[in-house]
Amino acid sequence: MNILVADDSKMARKIAIKTIKETLSENLQANIIEVNNGEEALATYQKENIDVVFLDLTMPIMDGFEALQKIKEYDKDAKVIVVSADIQKTSMDKVREFGAIDFVKKPINIEKMNQIIQKIL
Amino acid sequence: MSNEIILNEDEKDCLQELMNIAYGSATAAITEILDAFATLSIPRIEVIKTKNLKNHLSKEVNLNSTHFVCMQQINGPIAGENLFVIDNNSAKNIAIKFGLEEDEITEIELCDIILEITNILSSSTISKLAEDMKAMVSFSPPDVKILDNINKLDNQFIEKYQNVIIISTRLKFEDLDIDGQLMILTTDKSITYIKKTINKILNEI
Repeated sequence: MNILVADDSKMARKIAIKTIKETLSENLQANIIEVNNGEEALATYQKENIDVVFLDLTMPIMDGFEALQKIKEYDKDAKVIVVSADIQKTSMDKVREFGAIDFVKKPINIEKMNQIIQKIL
Repeated sequence: MSNEIILNEDEKDCLQELMNIAYGSATAAITEILDAFATLSIPRIEVIKTKNLKNHLSKEVNLNSTHFVCMQQINGPIAGENLFVIDNNSAKNIAIKFGLEEDEITEIELCDIILEITNILSSSTISKLAEDMKAMVSFSPPDVKILDNINKLDNQFIEKYQNVIIISTRLKFEDLDIDGQLMILTTDKSITYIKKTINKILNEI
């Protein structure tokens, strides 16, 4: 399973990766790729065979809203989970409208990650 | 205490992320009241010498035109001051969004609204930051000043401390032409506390 984690914060990426690793069962191997902005997320998605994307919203160069739209334009079946501190209702509505399969409030925890993994497997 | 307090890249990144989460909650509270959508910015972290504070602020905030500068003191392990700076036009647009008619908007009304916005924004942000850092903080009532020159800014930090950490974010409602800036200024002792707590958090990840 190829997982892409896009966040401009190294700390946020570390938390996400740690939580993903702790959640995945032992027999499910995950290859996790980290990027720090939306533009890199889009480029990596187009280059690699990504199964699921964990995407922050507030990022430099290209934000998560734009990256989500472009990833979905490229692949309408892309599985994107938005992980963000931007908990405005409008933001949550927007990412659902753009096709994200879930919105997770930061910081992500194991319980929530478990629900996501169940949903995407 | 050493004159040099430096946050390394990992510490800055961690504080930036904690601030991002804290500011996200605060912005959601404001946008709910204003029934509007705000564009969040990436928080910026800088540690500067207090003697350079006015210079720094004059570069950060364009005080050539009239601005409302609202200050709220924070007490506890993360002690310092919140500064919310907003231009006259943005303040008027907030007032309109609050339901005031153009001819009802007075300086007193604007000050009252800015005080309330600052209170919500700064207390929500700092409360969340303090919660993540397992610290207890309290707030003094905010005070607002109308300034058109940085030299009129009477700030307690300028005299009392050697270093100041500035965490700044923008509150931007593009559709409503509202643009404000929140700066959190903390002091030597608090910087040491923040640095220690951040390292604890980083070790736990």
